[in-house]
Amino acid sequence: MDGTTTAEATRRRPSPGPRTSALASAARRVAAAITIALLISGCTAPQETATPQPPNPPSAQVTAAPVPAPTIPVRPATPQTQTPKDPPPRFFTVAGTTIKMPIVKVGVSPDGAMEIPEPFNEAGWYRFGPAPGAAAGTAVIAAHVDTTSDTAPFSQLKSLEPGTLVTVQRDGAAPVTFRVTGVELMAKDAFDGASVFRRDGPPELKLVTCGGRWLDDLQDYGDNVIVTAVPA
Amino acid sequence: MRTSLFTAGAVAIAAAFTLAGPAQAAESDAQLSVLHGVPGLTVDVWVNGERTLDDFAPGTLAGPLALPAGDYDLAITAADAADASAPVIGPVKVTLAASGNYTAVANLDAAGKPTANFFTNDVSQIDPGKGKLTVRHTAAAPAVDVLAGGTPVISGLANPNEETLTLDPGTLSVAVAAAGTTAPVIGPADVTVAEGTHTVVYAWGSLADNNLKLAAQNIEGLHSAPAGVPGARSGAADAGAASAGQTAATVGLGAAVLLLLAGGVAVSRKQPALRRTR
Repeated sequence: MDGTTTAEATRRRPSPGPRTSALASAARRVAAAITIALLISGCTAPQETATPQPPNPPSAQVTAAPVPAPTIPVRPATPQTQTPKDPPPRFFTVAGTTIKMPIVKVGVSPDGAMEIPEPFNEAGWYRFGPAPGAAAGTAVIAAHVDTTSDTAPFSQLKSLEPGTLVTVQRDGAAPVTFRVTGVELMAKDAFDGASVFRRDGPPELKLVTCGGRWLDDLQDYGDNVIVTAVPA
Repeated sequence: MRTSLFTAGAVAIAAAFTLAGPAQAAESDAQLSVLHGVPGLTVDVWVNGERTLDDFAPGTLAGPLALPAGDYDLAITAADAADASAPVIGPVKVTLAASGNYTAVANLDAAGKPTANFFTNDVSQIDPGKGKLTVRHTAAAPAVDVLAGGTPVISGLANPNEETLTLDPGTLSVAVAAAGTTAPVIGPADVTVAEGTHTVVYAWGSLADNNLKLAAQNIEGLHSAPAGVPGARSGAADAGAASAGQTAATVGLGAAVLLLLAGGVAVSRKQPALRRTR
């Protein structure tokens, strides 16, 4: 549900007039129902919006009509370039560990998995999802757990205690601090992408690497180690 | 997916309005948007004889609204018509399927006559890291090519057809040219294709009247998650190996043996690891 839709739906709701007839009352009730429908639909269905527009475009005003004016969002359909998103992270530290790592933006590998930076001492932020400090959803930062011969800084994730502070420096914005709430092992063969890479709901930071047992036949670990932290 | 009926999302909108009562959006509701793509013609949209959109202007998009599946009737008249008895488009009946996503477009046909088209929008999940771009030809113009950065990406698109591309996210410089040519009749204009978003671009207006334009509609929330997070290189952080090391550090005699074992295991793992991707 985006805030714009909510605001517009609310703003365009017909204001109660002096009329107190049953018709006007019914009109308000119906308008309210449609407002509610808009709110609900934003949470349960693919969300459809026009390209970003300046707030309150004049043409968006729905004028009064003989029939009760429905709360139909109307806006210019002119193509717009995307508005800037939240500032990206560039560096972060985890208190009580040696994790002090630069962060690079990463996307998706050709095989559909999240890209992980090659250097063992560099972390990747999933740039298509929320950034640390965003109002909603999970910001995902991942790195290798090991090198070709040794452990890497993210091997310390599995031992983080609840309450540990994680501080993320951002480009052009104040740092944001998170507090660890838990560490979980998620079996790779039951990877729940929708919960790890969540774009709505409460803001969280997810630090992700591999863990559990090394499986020689798969040449991979059996699990992902996932640290969840919330804004401190 | 286009039906050559005249349609109007507004109909559904009005129907929802009049039928609403304590209605609530349900998971199975259809989503309907309406685009006005007839230049110079401000209209009113009527649903079942009720004026629903008043003074609906060219180049604007209304909706989406969540509507129960079903049939809706609508008509479009000149603005401020007394009633719906003399529509300029319609009246027509449209059918919305449960969970469908539609855009009804009032536009010109290739010959310049006002008409309407009913498009079904693809709201399937998009692969992680990708976006979709659909171009719909709803203009009074012959077949066109669509250029991105000067290169044709869609060829021979005719009114009222559409074509969809799956792309890496980014901002494209989009232009429309007569089929087989590269001289723009629209644009170039920047169009952003965002990850997890289906951007629908409409070419509308009239070539003869020199008022061709682009309109855009974004359907967000179609993203999907990466398939996994492959953070492994060698197994050097194996949980079993780590616990063996801790034991060795705290136990006397057996420690040396365990350390040797652990060392042997570590050496054996130095062989080049296959890059796991999952």
